[in-house]
Formats: sequence, structure tokens, C-alpha cells
Amino acid sequence: MLAKEADLMAVLEIALQRGGDFAEIFIERKRITSISCEDDKIERVNSGLDQGAGIRVLAGDRTVYSYTNDISREGLEKAAAQVAAAFQGEAQVKPCAFSRPRPGADFEFRRRPDSVPVEEKVELVQRANKAAREVDPRIRQVTVAYGDVIQEVTIANSEGVLVEDERVRCRLAVNAVASDGKIIQTGYEAAGGLCGFELFEEIDAAELARKAARRAVQMLEARPAPAGKMTVVMAAEAGGTMIHEACGHGLEADLVQKGLSVYAGKKGQQVASPLITVIDDPTLPSKYGSFRFDDEGAPGQRTVLIQNGILQDYMYDYLTARKEKRRSTGNGRRESYQDRPIPRMSNTFIAPGNDDPEEIIRSTARGLLVKKMGGGQVNTTNGDFVFDVAEGYLIQDGKIGPAVRGATLTGNGPEVLRLVDRVGKDLGFSLGTCGKDGQGVPVGDAQPTIRIPEMVVGGILEDEEGE
Amino acid sequence: MDPQLEKDYLDLVVQVVEKAGKRGVMAEAYLSGSQELNIEVRDQEIEALTVASDRGLGLRVLAGGKVGFAYTTDLSPAALDEVVDRALANAGLATADPFNRLPGSPGGYPELAIYDPDIEATPVADKIEMARKLEREARAFDPRVKITESCCYRDQTYVVALANSQGVAASYRGAYCGLSLFVVAVEGAENQTGFSLQYTLRLKELDAARVGREAAARAVRQLGARRIETQKAAVVFDPYVASNFLSVLASSLTAEAVQKGKSLFKGRVGQKVASDMVSIIDDGRLAGGIATAPFDGEGVPTGRTVLIEGGILRGFLHNTYTAAREGVKSTGNGSRGSFKTTPEVGTTNFFIQPGKLSPEELLKDIERGFYVTEVMGMHTANPVSGDFSVGASGLLIEKGELTRPVRGVAIAGNLIGLLEAVDGVGNDLVFFGATGSPTLRIARMTISG
Repeated sequence: MLAKEADLMAVLEIALQRGGDFAEIFIERKRITSISCEDDKIERVNSGLDQGAGIRVLAGDRTVYSYTNDISREGLEKAAAQVAAAFQGEAQVKPCAFSRPRPGADFEFRRRPDSVPVEEKVELVQRANKAAREVDPRIRQVTVAYGDVIQEVTIANSEGVLVEDERVRCRLAVNAVASDGKIIQTGYEAAGGLCGFELFEEIDAAELARKAARRAVQMLEARPAPAGKMTVVMAAEAGGTMIHEACGHGLEADLVQKGLSVYAGKKGQQVASPLITVIDDPTLPSKYGSFRFDDEGAPGQRTVLIQNGILQDYMYDYLTARKEKRRSTGNGRRESYQDRPIPRMSNTFIAPGNDDPEEIIRSTARGLLVKKMGGGQVNTTNGDFVFDVAEGYLIQDGKIGPAVRGATLTGNGPEVLRLVDRVGKDLGFSLGTCGKDGQGVPVGDAQPTIRIPEMVVGGILEDEEGE
Repeated sequence: MDPQLEKDYLDLVVQVVEKAGKRGVMAEAYLSGSQELNIEVRDQEIEALTVASDRGLGLRVLAGGKVGFAYTTDLSPAALDEVVDRALANAGLATADPFNRLPGSPGGYPELAIYDPDIEATPVADKIEMARKLEREARAFDPRVKITESCCYRDQTYVVALANSQGVAASYRGAYCGLSLFVVAVEGAENQTGFSLQYTLRLKELDAARVGREAAARAVRQLGARRIETQKAAVVFDPYVASNFLSVLASSLTAEAVQKGKSLFKGRVGQKVASDMVSIIDDGRLAGGIATAPFDGEGVPTGRTVLIEGGILRGFLHNTYTAAREGVKSTGNGSRGSFKTTPEVGTTNFFIQPGKLSPEELLKDIERGFYVTEVMGMHTANPVSGDFSVGASGLLIEKGELTRPVRGVAIAGNLIGLLEAVDGVGNDLVFFGATGSPTLRIARMTISG
């Protein structure tokens, strides 16, 4: 435990001594290891210890926050006094006695990364590097990055919640660069999860690396993507960036309450095709966005956001839930002790439907097949979003045609989700670091194969004859 | 921040280097500490107030050409011993490389005006009032500006201390402050956002009225935006969008990317890589620059490096490693994100040199074009291949005038093609943090709608 119960209680009392109706302390100790290989060399082997605490006091809708690296009782008291200094009155509430809630799910970390010799991690990285380089002589550079994190947290608040938790994450990413002397292209693959080093018993690091390398080489031969409106089929293996951007962010309660979401005020309404069901679920085992408790000590839970096209619920943290006098959905997350928690996604996905994925492609006369998505972004206020196509092919007469590169797809969230006309019975996951308000948190996204009759492909218009 | 702290930090990094030196390795210790104030206002009330302090130490050791690194936020003697142990163990696992070196002491560093005492001395109440004014100015600009997405005042005071076994032992203190505003204009069922920001080293330079009005104007003018047809046309980037593109280009102008075969500019020094009108500069000592500092993350004095001059590629940015590998001098671009990372090659104050024409003059001759004021998904642009395809919104240009708002379209191309196609550079250089650009006109680009 990062602090004694009596100390936590004393610090909460200090934080509330001049007013405020809720106080919370979040203490974190994070140990990381990262290894990177580039130029065929193990360039960086880094390890770090980052510890600190964040203290917040709420007074109605107002938040006062302070953080410090000093997690001794004196350090915590000083930070609590700094928060209290923003208030001018008398204490209004007294912290309740602590009780420990049960987690929403339990996870087992079979091989804790701190029990794995660093040599073994280095060997994993070297294996991936070698595999990627062997794919093709046009592979000019390979970067392999391994990282693990053991984050211990203690969360206590004046309503009596006390949670101690440990989050363990491992991740491996491969970026391959291919060149034919004229152009350069890249291919990227990553695997990771809330899990220990056993991840690499399930994931073949060499195969992951070969996949990244093959994509880089293949993109050398790809033609520039066409420009304009097209039918788009997104394969399950493409990952879930689209759903994350098209509706995930717009369903975060802070944006909804501030009038910054196109989905505000639409609970109970049809906001997507009846084929679409969207779920956020941190209790899925070993996904990148999984957790037992969120960063406010609320148990992780499965939340149905959209069911058969009808908007069911938003994602809440403590503060947004309190404004509506309801319970948090356990989506209060933060990057570190330096940040205030805000509503965030965990693992967000479109539930599988009934269609055969191959048949979806066969029944598409002309269009773009997205095999792999990259990053994306959304303007939640008007719903416009984009996502990058890392691997794409033209669909010609129901068959997969030539590869295309350099395309971004753009659309409007509610418009695109209403248009979806086919949903496959498969499901593919991807992982990423989601950024919001300057805070990055690990998330998982997933979707089945889906078809959207019309999206704007941001490609290149071939020059007219004679130009 | 107590001036004594700077001395204490310097003593500590020197001690840690000595501690590591006793284990028979070369070492470099970097310590940074900061104090931060962040004020968020909504509807004239304080929504959030953050007061915080943070610090940590990163240790790099060099043993037989192998580098090991470790960091900690715990500065107790036991924790510092552990950092030395871990950095040494990590070095044992790395690949040896003869170009891994630590720079020697340059004998002195420039005195730079990067610490404005007003930033710390001004009462929080005055800063809260500045944030409130920012929001009031936006609301007063147009009654349709109805929602505040975020309205912030922020400042930070920091101390950096660095020492290595080659005789470097130096420190500096700096501070910056800034305002940022995102607002929403509402008309009927339509909502559009607009933003503006200003970061500066001088508290007195903060201009809440200008930032507030600009955010409001940007939101209001997007009301009624719709798509335009797929076409090729002239495109004009406002300074914000142009700076976004410039940021993507940054990595390809580092010697690290060149040496690893990840730069579009590899082997092209002395050649024409951009339109005659384009000059790109990195200046770590730029007066008033947010990234201005006397030395880089390795203790090498910062400097001014002309990367592209009149369209000709002149050179690349170096840290000590990339410079050693090529037998040249570091340009003082050993950049550290924080104490948690090793010094990699990075930009400081990085900008496109302004031209002679005003933004209005750049638009004047355009029969039909697209003035881009926001891009979405810029982080998906590929700095290695140079390919980009991003969502865009802005205004339609017809007969030299901005006529109606546009959204939901995409623009795509390759960065090299883009640099070559620049046919106008404005005289209005604006910095967004440490990256800056004037308005840029591109002869022709594909717009997908």
C-alpha cells in the first residue's frame, strides 16, 4: 500500500478543512521498462520510477487540483493544504470511514514483467527485428519498441471509497520502412494488453513483425487512393478506430453535458442503423483498455451505449454522474497523478452482426476495402471525423483489387452510422493511446466487418489529359 | 521558485555524476523541476484550478560505447543509488556504438531572457481575471458564441540542471505563460467550434482581447459550412494549418532520420527540395521563443540552423551522437521531452521564414480556391513517406475573396510535392508554441468532397 489508511484520512480532512463537498486522493507508483531496437542495434534500454499523488476537492461544479512527487505524509499534507487554500470558508463535510469496493472483473497476470529477466525482453525485440528484416531486401529500417508498465495505485475519497490496485501492461510495436530507391513507405503493427509477459505466448512477435514489414513493401507498389465519394467496406482486422471517433468520444458525458456533442439530448433516439450496437467494456480480459477499477475507484463495468441503433447511455465519471444525480459508469480515467480524471473510453466496440464477411465484399460492385486503420480524430461538436487507412484495396466487381495508399476517410459520425448497411459476424481488435484534453490513456477498439454505402475518400485526383 | 533550488539541483546532478563515475562509467545527469498553475473558466466561474509541482532526474551512463538510462522522481539517496544501478544494468544489455559520446564543456553559455519574474509574482486572482476576460471577449464578439469548450490560463516556471563526466555543469531557470480558448458558435441546430491560443515568455504580452475575439471569429465564420465537390484547386493554409504541416516535416530534417534511412531529404543537401520562396529555420536562441534555452538536453549551446534556404536544402539538425557519426559539430538539438527520456534529435523554435505579401495579397489572384483553417488527423500524416491525407475545413475563395465556409472535405498529397508547389509566402509569421509559419499558398492540390 502506498499510504496508511490513517494518513489518507488525515490528508482528506486537511483538503476539506476550508470548504468543498468532496475530496479525493490518487497515489501512484509507476515502474516502466522500455527497450528499442533500430538500425539493427539495441539502442535504448530504459527503466523508470515515477511516483506522485493528485489531490482534488470539488465544490459544486468547481474542481481544485494539486499534485506532487512527494508521497510522504508531509508531502501529501502540503498538497492538500494547497488545495484547501483555494477555499475561504469552514469545513462542510467530514470524510466517511473507508470501505473497499469489489472490482468489476478480476485479471491474473501470469508472468509479471518484473519477474522476467530483461535479457528475455531484449531477445524478444531482437527476434522481431530479425523477422521483419528477412521479409524483403527493400526493407531499409526496422524499429521495434517494447514497453512494460507496473502501475500501483491507491485511491481514497471522502465518500469512503478506498481502492488499491495494480495495473500491469505489456506492449510490442514494430515499424518497418521500405524503399525502392524512389519512394519510402512504412508498415506498423502493435500488440499489447492489460497482461503480463504471457502476452508473447499468444502473440508471435516474429509474425507481428513480418506483418508490419509486408505492409511496408506492399505499399511501395500501391497506387495513390482515388478522391471523392465511395462505398467503403471495413474489415474486422482493420481495428476499431472508426467507432472510437464516429461515436465513442461523442458519448463521453462531459462533452455531452457541455453541449459539445452531436449526441447530446438523444438518449432513447435512433442515432444509428438498427444493425449497430456499441458497447464499452473494460472487463474484457487482457485487452489494452481493460481495468478492474477506473482511476476514481469505481469498478469497471460493461456499458451498452447504443443498442440496435437506439442511444442507451453515455460514459460517466464521478463528476458528470453527480451532475445528473446518477452513478458513474466507471469511465473516470486519467493519464497519471498529474491529471484530473475525465470520462474516457476503455474497450469500445461494435457488436458482431449476422453477415458473412466475405459475402459483404462479394456483394460490393465498387468500393474501397480498408484492411488496416491508422489513427483518427473527431470534432465532437459537429460530429465530423477522419481516420487514416494504413492498408487499403480497391474492390472491383466484388473482388479485392489493387492496393491503394495515402487515404484518409472522412465522414460525419451520426450520418455514417445511419448509413451502415452490412455488419459481419466477425470481430477484430486494435489498441491505441487515446488523447483527450492533453491526456493519453490506453484503449482497445474493435468492430466486425461493416459496409458504409458512402464516405469521402481523401485521395489524389489524376490530372486531366493534356495537362 | 526559490533561486536556491537551482543551486541545489545543480549540486545534486554533480553528485549523481560522481556517484556513477565511481562505478567506472561516464555519466550524465539531468534534473528538471517545475511549478505549474492552470486555471479553467466556464461561464465566468472557475471550473478548475490546478496548482502543482513536479521534478525528476534522468541518468544516462556510457560504458564501452553502450548507453543505459534510468529515471526517478524519488530523489532520496537510496533511490539515486538504485537509478545508478539500473542505468548500469541497462547499459549492459545495449549494443555498443563508438559514436555514443558525451559533449565536453563549451566554457560558457549565453545569457538569455527566458525568466520573467512577473509570471511568478502576479497574484492568482489577476490571472483568473485574465481567463474571465478571455471568455467575455469571445462572447461579446458575437451573440451566437454561446458555449465555452475550454477557456484557460496556464503558466509554468521551471529549473533545469545538467552535469556530465566531461565537465559540463550548468543550470537555468525559465518561465512561460499562455492563454487558450475553444468556443462554440450556435445557430439553429448547428454548432461550430473555433479556437485561438497564445503562449509567450512575457506576462505583459498576453492579449486576452485578441485571443478571445479571434476564437469567436473562427467559430462564427464556420456556421453554415458545407462540403464542396471533388476538385483540384489553389489552396491557402492559414499560419496554424501551415505550422501543423511544418511539425510533420520536423523529423525528416533531423540527422537521425537521415542516418536511419527515414528521411525524405536523405542525400539531397545542396539540392532544390522546395519552392524558391521557402526557407526553414531552427533557432534555439530566438528572442522570445518558447523553446529558447542556453543549452540543449546534453549541455551543448543552442544555435540557429538554416535548414532550407530559398528552396535549397542546407543541412540537418544534430545531437552529439548524430554529429559524431558524421564527424560534424552538434547543432545543439539534443532535445529531451522530459527527464524521462534520453536526448534525441529534435527541433527548438522551428519556423518558416516570412515573405513579403500580406495574406490578403496572397488571396487576391485566386479565381477559385480553398482557404484551410483547420485540419483533422494531422497525426496520421506519415513523416517518413511524406504522404498525408487529412480532413479539412475552412473557407471557399472566389475571385480573390473568402466567400462561404466549407467542412467535411479532405486534402491529400506528399510533403515534398507540397513544398515544391508553394507559390506564395505571407508576411504574417505566427508561432503556435515553438513552431511557427506565415500563411502559405499552394498552387494546386486535390480536394476530396
